[in-house]
Amino acid sequence: MSAVSAHAPHDEAHAHEIPYATQLRSNRLGLWLFMFSEMFLFGALFAARFVLWGNTRPDLSQEIGLLATGILLLSSFFMYRSEVGAAHGDRTRFLRSALLAALMGTIFFVMVVVMEWNVFGLSGELFGIELFGHLKPSDGVYGGVFYAMTGMHALHVLSGIVLILIIWWNGRRGFFTPERHWGVEATAIYWHYVDVVWVFFYPALYLMGQVAG
Amino acid sequence: MFRTLKVLLTSALVKGLVGQFVAWALGYAFIAGLRALRGMPTPWLYEPAVAFGGIISVIGFLLAAGVLTDWLKWVVGKRTPLRHGTPEGKPEWSRYVNVDYNHKVIGIQYGITSLLVLLIGGSFAIIFRIELAQPSMQWLNNDQFNTLFSAHGIVMIASILLGVGAMVNYLVPLMIGASDMAFPRLNAFSYWVGLPAVVLILMGMAVGGWDTGWVGYATLSLRAPLGVVLFLLGFWINGFSSIASSINMLVTTATMRAKGMTLFRMPIFVWGAAAASIIQLTSTQTVGVALTMSIAERVLGLNFFDPAGGGNPILYQHLFWFYSHPVVYVFVLPGLGVISELLPVFARKPLFGYRWVALSSMGIALVGFLVWAHHMFTSGMADALRVPFMFSTMLVAVPTGVKFFSWVATIWEGKLPKNPPTPLLFVLGSISVFLIGGVTGPILGTIPTDLHLHDSYWIVGHFHATMFGGFIFPFFAALYYWYPKISGHMYKESLGKLHFWLMLPAFWVMSIGQMSVGLLGMRRRVADYDPALGITTTHVLITLAALVIGWSVLIMIYNFIASARMERVAETNPWRSRSPEWQIPSPVPEFNYDVPFEVVGDPYDYGLVGSSYIRDALPAPSGD
Amino acid sequence: MGRLKHPISIIILVALATLGLRFLFSYILALPFAASAEAGPIDTLFNAHFWMIAFLFSLIMVMMIYSVFVFRRADDDDSDGPHVHSNTRLEIGWTIVPTFVVLGFGVWGAVILNEITRPKEGEMTVNVTGKQWIWSFAYPEQEDVQSGELVLPVNRTTVLKMNAEDVIHSFWVPEFRVKQDLVPGRETTLRITPTETGAYKLRCAEICGLNHTQMEADVRILSVEEFDAWVAEKSAAPAFAEMTPEERGAYWASAEGFGCVACHSSDGTPGVGPTWQGLYQRQEQLTDGSTITADDAYIINSINEPNAQIVVGFNPNIMPQNYLEQFTTREQEIEAAEAIDLDIAADLIAYIKTLQ
Ligand code: HEA
Ligand code: HEA
Ligand code: CUA
Ligand SMILES: [Cu+2]
Repeated sequence: MSAVSAHAPHDEAHAHEIPYATQLRSNRLGLWLFMFSEMFLFGALFAARFVLWGNTRPDLSQEIGLLATGILLLSSFFMYRSEVGAAHGDRTRFLRSALLAALMGTIFFVMVVVMEWNVFGLSGELFGIELFGHLKPSDGVYGGVFYAMTGMHALHVLSGIVLILIIWWNGRRGFFTPERHWGVEATAIYWHYVDVVWVFFYPALYLMGQVAG
Repeated sequence: MFRTLKVLLTSALVKGLVGQFVAWALGYAFIAGLRALRGMPTPWLYEPAVAFGGIISVIGFLLAAGVLTDWLKWVVGKRTPLRHGTPEGKPEWSRYVNVDYNHKVIGIQYGITSLLVLLIGGSFAIIFRIELAQPSMQWLNNDQFNTLFSAHGIVMIASILLGVGAMVNYLVPLMIGASDMAFPRLNAFSYWVGLPAVVLILMGMAVGGWDTGWVGYATLSLRAPLGVVLFLLGFWINGFSSIASSINMLVTTATMRAKGMTLFRMPIFVWGAAAASIIQLTSTQTVGVALTMSIAERVLGLNFFDPAGGGNPILYQHLFWFYSHPVVYVFVLPGLGVISELLPVFARKPLFGYRWVALSSMGIALVGFLVWAHHMFTSGMADALRVPFMFSTMLVAVPTGVKFFSWVATIWEGKLPKNPPTPLLFVLGSISVFLIGGVTGPILGTIPTDLHLHDSYWIVGHFHATMFGGFIFPFFAALYYWYPKISGHMYKESLGKLHFWLMLPAFWVMSIGQMSVGLLGMRRRVADYDPALGITTTHVLITLAALVIGWSVLIMIYNFIASARMERVAETNPWRSRSPEWQIPSPVPEFNYDVPFEVVGDPYDYGLVGSSYIRDALPAPSGD
Repeated sequence: MGRLKHPISIIILVALATLGLRFLFSYILALPFAASAEAGPIDTLFNAHFWMIAFLFSLIMVMMIYSVFVFRRADDDDSDGPHVHSNTRLEIGWTIVPTFVVLGFGVWGAVILNEITRPKEGEMTVNVTGKQWIWSFAYPEQEDVQSGELVLPVNRTTVLKMNAEDVIHSFWVPEFRVKQDLVPGRETTLRITPTETGAYKLRCAEICGLNHTQMEADVRILSVEEFDAWVAEKSAAPAFAEMTPEERGAYWASAEGFGCVACHSSDGTPGVGPTWQGLYQRQEQLTDGSTITADDAYIINSINEPNAQIVVGFNPNIMPQNYLEQFTTREQEIEAAEAIDLDIAADLIAYIKTLQ
């Protein structure tokens, strides 16, 4: 069956290339739609938390939670600076801030996985604060929901870090210009989005309801 | 012959499948290896290893098929121009088994896959229908029966989603005057990621099957045989395809419409497809959460649904139906779009109440988000919850009714041909079938009657009628209607008519039969029934009808394959349509339109002398 | 006639088709015999729905088929139809009218729902338990009678308090019309008021795994006197101390006891688990390749750790793993009430021994 007529020469293909401005508009819209879609993913987890925990929450370290949240929010600031840098052709600022944002994201990730999840089974104290969590995934719905929400979010943080490292690596090789830096813009929007999600998750996990279990 | 084999064996399809199984083995070995390091033996088909391997296998498929290649090159900063046309020195057909970025190729890939998957799922139905023709067990046991109907449900739904993808991908860019979708690579990804998903589901049948039905309710899913994990995984992976393709469709429609094509001048099919995409974009995520939670509860020991740890089995149902109700409108909205698209062409009259029909698609999608708990009227929800859901459910009838009334008004005084061609027959047939499916919905929506009908064969009759009327019949209409556009050949009309006149009556027997036995007390999802219910004869009829439907579908497939090899070349515009895709040669050139056209009128102004829809639709000159 | 020719034909045809269809429905879409007070209002609603289905189907089909045949063009006629775009009044009409119709049905549905679910005077409670794949019933107001069949007095509202032990099941007797799921971890309720004495079948309506098809129980509706007699007979059952171990074993195996019979037949019929007929001292081939003699130790182990020794041809992970605990709880309950030293597992083995 010949459903598309025979091949076209290459120069003709150029005539049909989508103009950058149109493509950029599509890219932006696509990203926003993707985030709209993800809203339902996080929303479903959020709703599950209220169904399963009701007006209670597990006993988590307030200090670690607050610190991790602060670091994540701060990283958003650096991501913003990075994007501004890229938009103004200020490469040093762009690269340095991106790296800082990735670093803070990594710290956040480590705090969740190593300290809250305590995947290595450590124990220790600093200034009377217990550093490592004791909630296990198998601890009934408290474990289930906590690990699901932080896990899904951590996965997004991780992918955000990878994206930042990619733009950093390509940015060093002069890939982005003030006119064409969609990669940076997309990464920044995505990173802010992941932060905003945490702004909803953090109170739902750490602050709302009575301590139980 | 040898060359054909070589092209096939080095195709992305074969490489992907090999990659999938290699990656599966590696994933399995990884878990087994970790256990071995800790001195634990790994039993054969150890569940966490199978599940982990299953996830890895999808990545394996995509990598081996080369779906991710361009993106990976982007990561290291390489530019990758899109390849167009058939690769040098390869036969034309090889495009269809390789990763190709042209929306028409991808549309056809979707279409062929959809039909193949329909045959697989349909043959499952035929197998268990033969068992149900007689009371007591003849040739299946409970285990096989449960696996077959569960797989039938999910495989058919996969087939529908693929079919929707086929229509959207092939038609939307053509109809709005774009040269391709907004994100061609994402488009290829949406198609290819669906294949390993189907493989996972079919593998689930091989490793023990499962007995949860397509809904996979907790806590049964937590105790079902191993196959359920692969079913849940496959269902979940399929979600990636839905979400990616809906983003693509919405962005394409938003940014790439031809000059002058305002929203209310789009061909009506695009409205239906857009409404369906909005649903896919959003609610797919919640079923994803439900499925992930089930897998996590089974494999990782997290607790969400099992009340033993404080979980809530009803939570699963809410998350599941928040997707799975709206998704039934994903099945039908493009199909209803096809009906609205074809009727004016054949009736030679404008689509009656275009705006209201367009908005009713959005209305259905919107109200569809608010009705999900009507599947749970017997689950023990408080009345304060189920009564509001009863009202919202009843309201969906209103925008759907708008469509029916507008269709009737469109053909009223219209000039339908005396000797209706096959696509028109299928359109008229689908109106009748979808109507009976639709009007058997409100009786499920009022709680007191649903208390009797829930989980009975009435439901089975209801949803086969809606899905056949809202998707299968319109899809077949679309296949016949656009077949000359796609292939450049005309199908054989007599075979098309034979297909229709076998399938429509058989379908009616099957669907009404199912409703009838359901009222009398036939439960769903049972391998056997009590002859005392007095339903044996009806069951025989249903099974015979199922066989006829099966044969008729095979006739269509034969028709398409045979006609493509025949000399009957199609005219450019055999249906005298005003739609832009019919103004250019068939098959459509690689880049659709040479000069982007401009919209200067309304799409369906049949009968308005001197009007035209578009100006300047010139085809791209083809290469030779 | 003239201008009115089409509308009048349509009205006549739709009316005829509606009546014809409604008549046809009474054969092809018939409801089963109604045997409960709840069935009354529900069937009225069914009837209304069937009328609406008949009417709407006729309306649209008649107009469609009429258009196809009356206005069609000859094969060589290439002319277009009239250029009619839309008609705002019509469109508003066919949006508003169905809205009111469906809302009306909604209100009616809510009223009937309230009628069939509200508490009634003189209700009696029965506890229903469903588990894979057997039903059991307890009568807390009738001296805690246990039963494997549902026996109810006629014309008295019964509140079924339902619990599931493992997965979701669903209570459905078609003649009573109403249906209710049994959900693990929570209690659900259903009210039925049987109005006709007789025998019915309760069948599980929610897929619950392998033997969902076979999850049935008998339902008997008796007159009040017969019901009282049944209760008296049931509660006069001998105390456990007066029964032989074999009799007790048979009791434990039944639906009233622990429901072993759901999976293990006593007459050789194949089931989900090995049949108990001739089980004792039988040579069993296990999935790990070894052969074993079914002695006391093997049977105890199979109750305690069902997955440890799986006989070829059967699946693991089906039998609950907590029967010994359930036995202990039950033994303690009974020992607190009666002077007896119970060993349920031993009773069961004694019973199995009788099934040679
Ligand atoms: C394509 C698929 C599709 C479509 C379009 C529909 C459409 C509708 N469905 Fe259906 N449904 C399914 C697929 C579909 N359904 C499936 C798959 C299931 C079972 C899932 C499972 O359990 O496995 C199901 C189950 C299902 C249930 C759950 C039953 C139960 O399990 O107890 C209910 C309950 O309310 C319901 C209602 C409706 C309603 C009210 C509509 C409405 O949208 C119909 C609206 C249309 C009309 C009403 C006809 C035209 C209108 C007019 C002519 C206007 C005038 C009308 C009036 C005045 C009434 N459906
Ligand atoms: C698009 C969706 C779709 C389609 C098209 C069908 C098509 C058919 N369905 Fe489907 N069905 C579902 C979706 C669908 N079904 C769903 C979602 C369920 C619910 C599952 C659940 O409960 O969880 C269901 C359940 C279901 C049941 C209830 C099972 C139960 O509850 O026990 C029955 C019973 O009659 C049935 C019958 C049929 C039949 C006879 C066809 C026929 O029309 C099929 C016709 C056959 C073909 C189209 C194939 C032709 C092929 C051949 C003749 C063989 C050649 C084969 C090869 C070359 C490979 N289906
Ligand atoms: Cu219990 Cu089905
Ligand atoms: Cu629904």
